[in-house]
Amino acid sequence: MIEFLIYLLTMIGIWGILSLSLHIQYGMTGLINLGHVVFFMLGAYVSTILVMLVGAPFIVGLAGGMIVAALVAVVMALPTANLREDYWAICTLAFAEMVRLFFLNQPLKGDYMGASFGVSGIPQPLSALFSDYGYNLFYMVLVLVCLLAAFGFVLWLARQPFGRALKAIREGDEVPLTLGKAVGSYRIRAMALAGLLGGAAGSLFAHYNAFISPNYFLPLETFLVWAMIILGGAGNPLGALAGTVIIQLLYNSTRFMKAFVPLDASMLGSLRMVFIGVLIVVVILYLPQGLFPEKKRSYARTRAKASAD
Amino acid sequence: MDETRLVPFVAFRNFLVRNFSVFQYLEGTKEVLLQVLIDSLIYSSELALLAIGVTMVYGALRFPNFAHVEFATLGAYLAFVLSAGLGAPLYVALLIAAVMVGVVGVGIDLAVFRKLRQTSPILLMIASFGIGIALREAIRAIWGTSPVFYPLPLQRPLQLWGDMSATPVQIAIILLAAVCVYGFHLLLNRTKLGIAMRSLADNPNLAEASGINTERIIRSVWLIGAGMAGLGGVMIGLDTQVHPNMGFAIIIPVFCAAILGGIGNPYGAMLGALVVAFAQNVGLAIDWAPLASILGWSGEGGLYIPTGYKAAIPFGLLILCLLLRPQGLMGDPNR
Repeated sequence: MIEFLIYLLTMIGIWGILSLSLHIQYGMTGLINLGHVVFFMLGAYVSTILVMLVGAPFIVGLAGGMIVAALVAVVMALPTANLREDYWAICTLAFAEMVRLFFLNQPLKGDYMGASFGVSGIPQPLSALFSDYGYNLFYMVLVLVCLLAAFGFVLWLARQPFGRALKAIREGDEVPLTLGKAVGSYRIRAMALAGLLGGAAGSLFAHYNAFISPNYFLPLETFLVWAMIILGGAGNPLGALAGTVIIQLLYNSTRFMKAFVPLDASMLGSLRMVFIGVLIVVVILYLPQGLFPEKKRSYARTRAKASAD
Repeated sequence: MDETRLVPFVAFRNFLVRNFSVFQYLEGTKEVLLQVLIDSLIYSSELALLAIGVTMVYGALRFPNFAHVEFATLGAYLAFVLSAGLGAPLYVALLIAAVMVGVVGVGIDLAVFRKLRQTSPILLMIASFGIGIALREAIRAIWGTSPVFYPLPLQRPLQLWGDMSATPVQIAIILLAAVCVYGFHLLLNRTKLGIAMRSLADNPNLAEASGINTERIIRSVWLIGAGMAGLGGVMIGLDTQVHPNMGFAIIIPVFCAAILGGIGNPYGAMLGALVVAFAQNVGLAIDWAPLASILGWSGEGGLYIPTGYKAAIPFGLLILCLLLRPQGLMGDPNR
């Protein structure tokens, strides 16, 4: 039981970083990235390649994964930064599938590494120093420290002029354009920051799971991150984390449901996704702000006005 | 046909082939290209039936419905149950399935999208993504992951012209799609409903002000759009196989067709489907070596796009289109 709890907390940590990355894009800037999983995928693959084929230490793999994911985020955003939101969404969805297609077709080394076989035996950093049980505990702490750092970064970002400009862009292009803000450039930079976080999550996942394959990075994963953000409350980083915890609990609950519900595992797996899909629609219909709505900053004048009313 | 009447044409062709290397090249790949023609027509039939629905819903409600491709999967499975399970003849099963999917489309609109008419397209998009996942996984839970096939007799390919061949089912798919598209064209231009649909896509406020019952028109849009997608799904199932991912697998070509033609414009979606299907099949069939040698690369032994990257072709087209002509091939640049 305690081992499962450690696993769950590690997964919550990794997906928490991923949903903070989407928080920067959607919650702060209003970008609909339906190909968000591409950062996760690039972080995982680049880190794996650096560590296994180049022989770099884990920390270089992590940094490399983050940087490549950020660069790809810029490439993804450059031609499309000024597109309307619906076109942008379709483009990102297609882009992520394209990158997945590349990893699905491209062998990394020899005939059985990479491509559809995936990569197995990814080394775990510092694993020689710990027992199996101790290692999982160590990795959980590592992931949670990364999550905390990411959370601190997002909070700090929101207080910067840059973060405020992003939130202004979210509410519509007209005002920031009038104030002389280069809207397209802000969007590209927001994507790059989100790429950094997403890449970190991917690298942490690859070295924890020790196996990756293109099947881990289907559009379904993007949807799960979206579910976390929408459920928790867009625009509020704490909401993003709360959403991550709830969706991860739901996602992993099938493990326990097996004991009570007489259905086979693949059917339960599908039913939980039906449940999450319906849950998102219900949240959008009846709770569009999410469980933890964003706190609007109140200014002295608006506060006085509100108390006068 | 009388052979002697063809003589001048043959002479002209020989002249072209002798004197222009482009035609020499085409002459060499003629057999392949003729087969590509048939394959592309089949693929564009399937794409068009889905893309028309995407573009119509976009025209009426101004959001890309990511759940639309799941209507195809649903239609394919319903037709499978009706034909293989209940023993209905395939053409009856296909029509009933299309109507049922249309009703499901209207039901989803009434249950979800109707309540979100005034919200931003962002929430509509995400809601449609959620509905799509729920539909796809529900289908997977009910019918399982392994593919199923329609009860069809063994298909013997018909020789059409030279080495070009197609099975009767494939010809039926092309004809059925042609009938649907023509019927839809008549509906848009000759009926009150079609004219109301076009005016709604053009200017919703003006349409409402002229006394059009917009909610009723939107219901018809869902009925027809989802129904056609269901029909398209049956076609894909007839052509290949029925499996839970068959709809989502073609979401990118479908949206590419809709955007390429100018989203909101049904005729554009038809043209877009043709362009996407031909680009994909021709791109794979062509030996790119002559082009590569012009650019200085040696293309010894032929240079082909690997089939694994087939899906990259519509995506490339999509990006090109969005960069060069974001309003689409047939879109109005002022909108």
